[in-house]
Amino acid sequence: MNVLYNILLYGVWFLSTYYVILLLLLLFTGKDSIYEKKKFNYKKHPKVSVIISAYNEEDKIGESIESLKKIDYDNIEFIIINDGSRDGTSAEVRRSIRHDDRFSFIDRAENRGKAASLNQGITKARGEFIVTMDADSVVEKKIFYKVLPYFEKKDVGAVTVSVYVKNPKSILHKIFELEYIIGLSLFLKIFSKMDAVYVTPGPFSIYRRSMLNEIGGFDEKNITEDLEIAYRIQKKGYKIDNCMDARVYTILPPTFKKICIQRKRWYSGAVYTLYKHRKMLLNSKYGAFGYMIFFNYMLIFLGLILFGTSLYLGASKLVDNVIYYNYINFDIWTGIHNMRLDLLTMGRTSLLGILSLMFTISTLIIGLIFTKTNYKGKKVGILGFTFLFILYQLFWSIALFAVLTGQRVKWR
Amino acid sequence: MAIKKSIFIIALLITLSLLTVILIFGNFLNNDRKSSIDEQMQAINQLNELQTYSLMNEVYGGKMACVAFKMQLKEWDKTLWDLGQKIESYRLATEEFQKDQFYLDMKQKFNENEVLYLTFLTKVKKECNISMDIVSYFYQNSEECKQCDDQSFVLTNIKQKYGDSVAIFSFDTDINVTNVDILRQYYEIDKYPCVVINEKKYCGMQDNDFIVNKLCTLNGGCYEENSTRT
Repeated sequence: MNVLYNILLYGVWFLSTYYVILLLLLLFTGKDSIYEKKKFNYKKHPKVSVIISAYNEEDKIGESIESLKKIDYDNIEFIIINDGSRDGTSAEVRRSIRHDDRFSFIDRAENRGKAASLNQGITKARGEFIVTMDADSVVEKKIFYKVLPYFEKKDVGAVTVSVYVKNPKSILHKIFELEYIIGLSLFLKIFSKMDAVYVTPGPFSIYRRSMLNEIGGFDEKNITEDLEIAYRIQKKGYKIDNCMDARVYTILPPTFKKICIQRKRWYSGAVYTLYKHRKMLLNSKYGAFGYMIFFNYMLIFLGLILFGTSLYLGASKLVDNVIYYNYINFDIWTGIHNMRLDLLTMGRTSLLGILSLMFTISTLIIGLIFTKTNYKGKKVGILGFTFLFILYQLFWSIALFAVLTGQRVKWR
Repeated sequence: MAIKKSIFIIALLITLSLLTVILIFGNFLNNDRKSSIDEQMQAINQLNELQTYSLMNEVYGGKMACVAFKMQLKEWDKTLWDLGQKIESYRLATEEFQKDQFYLDMKQKFNENEVLYLTFLTKVKKECNISMDIVSYFYQNSEECKQCDDQSFVLTNIKQKYGDSVAIFSFDTDINVTNVDILRQYYEIDKYPCVVINEKKYCGMQDNDFIVNKLCTLNGGCYEENSTRT
């Protein structure tokens, strides 16, 4: 057990360190193109259709619509779809969009899911470019002048932007804020340099209309439609680029329980998507995408096995200690009193742990520097970020359990 | 965008370098650990001076030898105990893929020295009227003896708590030390864990209360099972 565990520990450490170093090298070697600001060369503004699917979003959609109204772009239409909400979403949308003829509203009584709503919106849309947005997202004014130039290359099928967390207040939100900055901003930019972007995030992504028609829109059976569509875009040979300079702000679920539910959907959706497109894995036909995805998920699953084993060993140790202390009438003080901190008691595995911790914090700080993120108010998040690994394992375990037991995970 | 293959190789080299740093630093710590154990083992070898004390006893009489022995007793006991702890810490820190030969060698030497010290201590305890309990603990590796770790924990706690008044010797019966085997046969030990407290054998797992109850120094003398003071 000990030998196998150590092989796994060293293996996961090596692969994950290699993975992060590779991403950092790509970041350093291509840092000039990260901040590259493309010039808006369109003589006539191409038409853009922004589609929002809303379900029970009465308290958030108003702000989202307000940010859309402020967008500085003239050839634009907004399509809001109420996907059978049971709260006051419909009334809130009607109130927010009145007197603005750029908005149209599809008010559906039946809840058919986000992908179906978006497809309905695409059918109605007249834009050359289609934007899908979450009902709780807020966009910056000049976003289209930043993202549309990326489509000058005809092989670009979609463009993602930097996703930031709006007003993070709780410790948990502050930790996830950093995850978004690194994972959904910086890493997507690096992945775009390899043509290996694996998600077009729900808060804001823009697609070429002709490409959407070609691939048949969103998969209505998939619970992570923004992830699944990225695989098909890659499959068709289109590129997904990233405009790190453009930002969208999203609201995180308010409670830990709701975050768990959201992640359960994301990760179980990721497993279904991976299974659906399993032939893309390690397939050189799809370039770096097939390899990076394989590497990504291999690390996740190995990490899960390592975490599960560590948990088992930790629990066994705990049980042993309870038994030990029971024999000495739980005299904890004597042990503490005689405890000696000695560097010589530190094994190589402890060194691996310390190095990994330092490496995680350094990577995070490098990431924050590269994304030009202000450190103020982020100290708690930086410290907590190191524990995100544990939360990931928890979320993945919940999701995998759901998949393996055949639970039906719904979008809502 | 095509990525240069060299980036993958550079990343691999950096990762390998980091791993090498860990291994080198790990080895550096290991060498320090070994030196520390070696140093203490040298000190333990001074236990051979026990022969001198034994000789002094014969030549100058018991009183002279007892004075000298009492002066050294606490130091030897502490050195031996600390060495045992260090060897165990070494095992915990280094046991990753296989048992270290250095550990096995040290463990063997340590057990040999323990037998020597135990024998001498037992001999002079009565002659010099030394107020100290002697506990010998016989164990096997934890895979064969599930409760041996529990017993070790209890005895460690007792030593930490009562210090000089108890001398605890732990004997690993899995390693081939002839003298340990002789002791095992002398006490007719065939069940593990097994503790011998002041020459009385108690095999099977014994908790803190049981052992403390059997320690004479803590109880103002020894009691027989029928509560008669001896």
